[in-house]
Amino acid sequence: MAAEPDPSAFRENPRTRITLKIEEALVAAAMAAMALITAANVVTRYLSDISIAFTEEYSVVLMVLMTLLGTAIATASGRHIKIGYFLDFLAPRGQRIAEMVAMAMTMVCFGILVAYGWRLAYDEYRFEVLSNGLGHPNWWYTGWLPLLAAVVVLRALGRFIRLARGLDG
Amino acid sequence: MIGAILFLTFLVLLFGGVPIGVALGLAGALAILLADQSILAMPTNVYAGIAKYPLMAIPMFVLVGSVFDRTGVALRLVRFATAIVGAGRGALASVSVLVAMVIGGISGSGPATSAAVGQVVTRSMVADGYPRPFIAATVAAAAATDILIPPSIAFIIYAVLVPGVSVPAIFMAGMFPGILAGFAIIGAVLVLSWLNDFGGKAQATERLRVWQTFKEAIWGLMAPVVILGGMRIGAFTPTEAAVMAVFYGLFVGVVIYRTLTWRDLYEMLVEAGELSAVIMIVVALASVFAWSTATLGIVQPIAGWIVGLGLGEYGTIALLMVALIFIGMFLDGVSTFLILLPVLIPIANAFQWDLTWFGVILTMKIAIGQFTPPMAVNLMVSCRIAGVSMETTIPWVVWMILAMFVSLALVVVFPGIALWLPGVLGMM
Repeated sequence: MAAEPDPSAFRENPRTRITLKIEEALVAAAMAAMALITAANVVTRYLSDISIAFTEEYSVVLMVLMTLLGTAIATASGRHIKIGYFLDFLAPRGQRIAEMVAMAMTMVCFGILVAYGWRLAYDEYRFEVLSNGLGHPNWWYTGWLPLLAAVVVLRALGRFIRLARGLDG
Repeated sequence: MIGAILFLTFLVLLFGGVPIGVALGLAGALAILLADQSILAMPTNVYAGIAKYPLMAIPMFVLVGSVFDRTGVALRLVRFATAIVGAGRGALASVSVLVAMVIGGISGSGPATSAAVGQVVTRSMVADGYPRPFIAATVAAAAATDILIPPSIAFIIYAVLVPGVSVPAIFMAGMFPGILAGFAIIGAVLVLSWLNDFGGKAQATERLRVWQTFKEAIWGLMAPVVILGGMRIGAFTPTEAAVMAVFYGLFVGVVIYRTLTWRDLYEMLVEAGELSAVIMIVVALASVFAWSTATLGIVQPIAGWIVGLGLGEYGTIALLMVALIFIGMFLDGVSTFLILLPVLIPIANAFQWDLTWFGVILTMKIAIGQFTPPMAVNLMVSCRIAGVSMETTIPWVVWMILAMFVSLALVVVFPGIALWLPGVLGMM
């Protein structure tokens, strides 16, 4: 198997104009919140009569937010799962061009998610779709998709520009 | 026709070095456009693909791995195992396999285990007279048992995608095949060490006392018990078991070993979050791809064609194994499941195979792919730590691949190896 994240690889974030620490702090907060909500569920279930199982809905949304924010970090620093085997045969210039193409593709992919994710959330707002569990307006949740997909697009653009300037990305 | 374009687009993007998730998402989007379907299916599937509660076990188990990695559990396990086994030919190599299996009961990913064990054992194994390529091969093969011994991210994905398979049931079904594979690798490692006179060369600088090292290692040894025990008695869901293990690991790291700081905690959250996101975004975008293949009706004809070949049960399994070996050379386990399960499950149903057992043998095949050169992720990690190239490991790693194939064949012929435990525990 070529592609799976290597956790021991040297992790260093590129120098970006807007610091990646923003996404990092939000990812850490989302992870901590998911762990604490889950723990609170266990504690209340065994130690009291109160059920807070409804919090599952929030945990799931936090997981979606964490996924998109983590994707933004991994995009900016080129740490997504990909097959680099064939690119290693290219000269450094060719590798850089291939990585720029990959960033362009990433922008297209998440660009679609921005444009049509917005349509999806807008439709849910117009038709007043409610969430399954708690009955909140569903666009409160799906609205994050276009917003954070836009963050991924910008991070891909930033990496594209860095590569075009001849930096390491 | 659209089906061909779908797969071709995916392959071109994939081999061009585009992130796998983006390749899947764009190929799916193109097929949606060509088939005159609404592109709104893309954001809908991306959101619905990951907004599932059982998937939350993935970030939580990744976090468990990060926590125990930083507490230094691996080192203490190696010291304890060495105190018991002593130092002789092949002893330290067997220790590293055993430790990888215990870590496999804590962490859910092969490369992570490969890194954790490799960093701890490489130096002492070199001092004990093992050649570096042999060390890298041993660590990579041992770490591959990790995705079989619960918890396992591959199993979580399989259970979420395949109706009728529960996460606890497939976790338990993976237990004995994982242990079997581990012992098969120990067998191969011992024979190679005896024949080539590896190990037992180091002058003992300190006498490791069994009791002393046990007192330190017991905290690590208890972690799999916390995870599996909680799920076994039905006290916790898999996600909750993972969170309990996180808090247990933090307790061990902060109070017992005193190896963790607040700074570490923050870094672990970021690291585990990004690592999970990288897996989850593939899951999200692969659901666009899967939706396209399902809507376009590509899947059923392929499955029907394979069943119609008339190869019989074992012939079909052999064919699937060959196909998976080939695909496994290029794709990681999670992506393989996401792309191929829509085809594989109808085949399994046509033969009325048990889907839990089927998931175990597919995962064993993926585990073998994790240390089969030239594109093996575990081996890549262990080779970098040992400072050797992947080619040099080939004379050693082929025997370990063979050993694992023997255990795979045993699980194929005797499904009870996988299904006995979940059956006895009343999970199936």
